Amino acid sequence: MVGELKSPEELLKERFERVEKAIGLGEPDKVPLIIFTCGDVLRKYATGYELYFNYDRAREASVKFVTEYPVDVFLAALAAEGFIFALAFSNYPDIAPSIRFWTGPMHDALGDKYTKWPGRELPEDSVLQFIGGQFMDVKEYNKLSDDPVTFVNEVIFPRACVNLEKAGSSKANAALIRLGFEASRYLRFLGESAADLAKVGIPSLPLTFAYAPLDFIGDFLRYPTGALIDVRRYPDEVKRACEALVEPIIKVALSLKPAGAKYAFIPLHLNEYLSPKLYNEFYWPTLRKIIVELYGQGIRSLVFFEGWHDPHLETILELPRGWGIAYFEKTDVRKAKKILGGHTCIMGGVPPSLLLEATPDKIEEYVKSLLGEMKPDGGFILSPGVADIPRAVPHENLKALIEAVEKYGRY
Amino acid sequence: MSLEDLIDAFVNLDEEKVLRIVEILLREGKDPAEILEACRRATALIGERFERGEYFLSELVFASEIFNGVMRIVLPELKREVKPTGKIVLGTVQGDIHDIGKNIFKAFAEAAGFRIIDLGVDVPPERFVEAVRTHSPDILGMSGLLTISYESMKKTVEALREAGLRDKVKIIIGGGRVDEYVKRYTGADEWADNAMLGVKKCREMLGLGG
Repeated sequence: MVGELKSPEELLKERFERVEKAIGLGEPDKVPLIIFTCGDVLRKYATGYELYFNYDRAREASVKFVTEYPVDVFLAALAAEGFIFALAFSNYPDIAPSIRFWTGPMHDALGDKYTKWPGRELPEDSVLQFIGGQFMDVKEYNKLSDDPVTFVNEVIFPRACVNLEKAGSSKANAALIRLGFEASRYLRFLGESAADLAKVGIPSLPLTFAYAPLDFIGDFLRYPTGALIDVRRYPDEVKRACEALVEPIIKVALSLKPAGAKYAFIPLHLNEYLSPKLYNEFYWPTLRKIIVELYGQGIRSLVFFEGWHDPHLETILELPRGWGIAYFEKTDVRKAKKILGGHTCIMGGVPPSLLLEATPDKIEEYVKSLLGEMKPDGGFILSPGVADIPRAVPHENLKALIEAVEKYGRY
Repeated sequence: MSLEDLIDAFVNLDEEKVLRIVEILLREGKDPAEILEACRRATALIGERFERGEYFLSELVFASEIFNGVMRIVLPELKREVKPTGKIVLGTVQGDIHDIGKNIFKAFAEAAGFRIIDLGVDVPPERFVEAVRTHSPDILGMSGLLTISYESMKKTVEALREAGLRDKVKIIIGGGRVDEYVKRYTGADEWADNAMLGVKKCREMLGLGG
């Protein structure tokens, strides 16, 4: 293949431009392929425990993966959802981004009840899991709305993190100092990991992060089902809280702008649960506000529309053209293109279960047919439709995916 | 107040009204088993609305909350045993600790008359095998959200086969990320990516029609 004769620097530039062109709704030289993982597929090379607790092993695993499976962008999120900490420190842009995700050692430092980890609460060969919990009473919605940052720091942390139970105690102070140490180790790891990938010609996306306000309530304060029930029993309180969360969420996202962040990753959760009526009343208005504001500030969003987003597809047209990337899980990207083509860059298309169980021939046939419809006019990024690939996916199937994009993805 | 009023209020997810009607009916001496039967009919109607795209997962979550509320009032009053539609051993598979989907399925399956033996989350294959041996269920339901759950589902089916129990029980896998491919990979009999479909398939596997 021609690509193998190029230097890593050339490949790096070529791949980054390919992705940027697609995001900008253009036709690159080839349909880009992006692979996300939260650790599952990297367990080919290391145990779950090693991936989250040992930065050197995690770096090695990522390099091994991309050497074996060269893709246009490889995103390994080997850390748990910790947006509540970023929000709590949203007034300190030097701190917020470094604790936006939690690593294994950060979990040890905090003793948080949100996450469970291999080698800790889970078997060593598992993957990290965000489980959330109910840490806020319904009667406290007003306190949350009045001042989210203070409420999270002073009321939620002592409940949600064993080591922060008593603010100002020796134990709590030690936990925060440990968190700080770990945050700087993690930042170094991110930098080194990006450099490792660049050395073999794989670019990283300059990312920052945001969150949908109702998901923030569901994930960190009331548990997802609790938030859904609150929407019915206490609609006004929920709405007010969502609005109050917009400003600190935007602050967190902008904290990485000076460091060159260009894309805000926003993983959605409750979108799939809501009827259009509830979505348009409780979920979308504040999320839309965040995406539009960030776009105005030069940051495009990479939104992971978890699950089945079909009933809400048309609302995406309310965003400015070229606002970012819509990454779909179960929504058929062909259907999405009919509605969003020429307006929004679409990402996704390959069910991980297909990679698991189909033959290489079937995978090739699938990609050929998919690209036949998705490639014309650009604005499409191929990716497995959920942010991971099962470890048990056969080597030849992953190879077949990459080769099929090479074969049928050229413009 | 009649059972029809109860069904109507339930289908329209009027929580306060449902609970009020149940209290009144019990006070008037209505057989608690009939109240449960009315709830079963209501949840079947909710399932139909879900299938038609009029209701979404949030409606199912709220309906299961209402159903659990009714059960808390009605169960202590239940004098006679209601014959279950079938017996299901249920659990989230090893390595996965997510249970939102499993719990919604459980509420709707119970409402449909199934007896559920819930093993909880992170259930290793040997515990599933032991539970199948002890309870002789009609159906084994394995739930999982993460992609790592596929491996555990497959291991559990294999463990049942080794224990000579595979043919004694129907197996359904459930979760937002299961499909026909995952079914084939794991060796299960059926799959469902939402709770209503799961209940429907369980009924079908027992020859009860959707």
